[in-house]
Amino acid sequence: MSIVEMCQWLQDTSIGTSIRESTWVFPILEGTHLLGIAASVGTLLVMDLRLAGVLFKREAFSQVTKAVMPISLVGFTIMFVTGILLFWCQAVKAYGSIYFKIKITLLLLAGINALIFELTLRRKSAAWDNDPVPPLRARMAGITGLILWAGVICAGRTMAYNF
Amino acid sequence: MPFHSFFQWCDDTALAVAIRDSRFLFPIIESIHILALAVLLGTVIVVSLRLLGVGLTRSSASEVYGTLSGLRNGALVTMIVTGFMLFSSEAIKCYENPPFWAKMIMLFFAIVFQYTVVRSTTNKPAVSLSRFRATAAACLSLFLWFGVGAAGRAIGFY
Repeated sequence: MSIVEMCQWLQDTSIGTSIRESTWVFPILEGTHLLGIAASVGTLLVMDLRLAGVLFKREAFSQVTKAVMPISLVGFTIMFVTGILLFWCQAVKAYGSIYFKIKITLLLLAGINALIFELTLRRKSAAWDNDPVPPLRARMAGITGLILWAGVICAGRTMAYNF
Repeated sequence: MPFHSFFQWCDDTALAVAIRDSRFLFPIIESIHILALAVLLGTVIVVSLRLLGVGLTRSSASEVYGTLSGLRNGALVTMIVTGFMLFSSEAIKCYENPPFWAKMIMLFFAIVFQYTVVRSTTNKPAVSLSRFRATAAACLSLFLWFGVGAAGRAIGFY
């Protein structure tokens, strides 16, 4: 079974078909997906700008994270769940879109960036937690994350157009 | 129909025609519009959290509000400019689009509420700020701005 055939099978399942054919479910999923992105990336922006040494320099990095991370995680969860359902109902179209592939690639890179940060810099964050401007590598991780997420949003939006 | 001639005028501007005629302009402008939405909602969430007394407690509510002013104002101006471009390219369609009107009404209240009630609430010294006022300002501004986002998305589906 090729990937395209798997996509076809997925969108032909009863869940895929009923989402696609419903008047209300698809727009509601799309809208929720968008607001989930705004909530997660908007709050991530504040964390990453603290990490980059731009905003809230008086607050410890851990303090900013503690305040904002729960909202980010809720936003990400909403985004992933709605995103999977949206893919489910139009898998073939998504798989055929270059923008979808760009989006998934950027999403993976953002995940790797976050994972490396968590496994290396974050473990030693006590050393720079209160620094107004964190070390260069931490600042780079923050800026990289922001650029990748901006790319995810742009590629995701562009998926809707058939060029 | 006081608005209709204005909408028709927008629809006829060179900018509107250029956006309609291009395959790429609308998606590009729309992407910028959505990026700005994420930035704006991020600032609204963080200020609301501070008003609700969550996190960032080394800074006062007014400091949190002030620190995010550049991002908030920049995002809002970007959204209005790109939003007007998107609107003008399909102004006549918007005229008959209920979500568009819902969005404009909510946007009006969201902006007024943001720059009057939310700002003055964050400026109040913590001792004289009632819990009720802080909570109400936080929840209402979240409701209004998320409502603007939701109604905005609905324009394309109607």
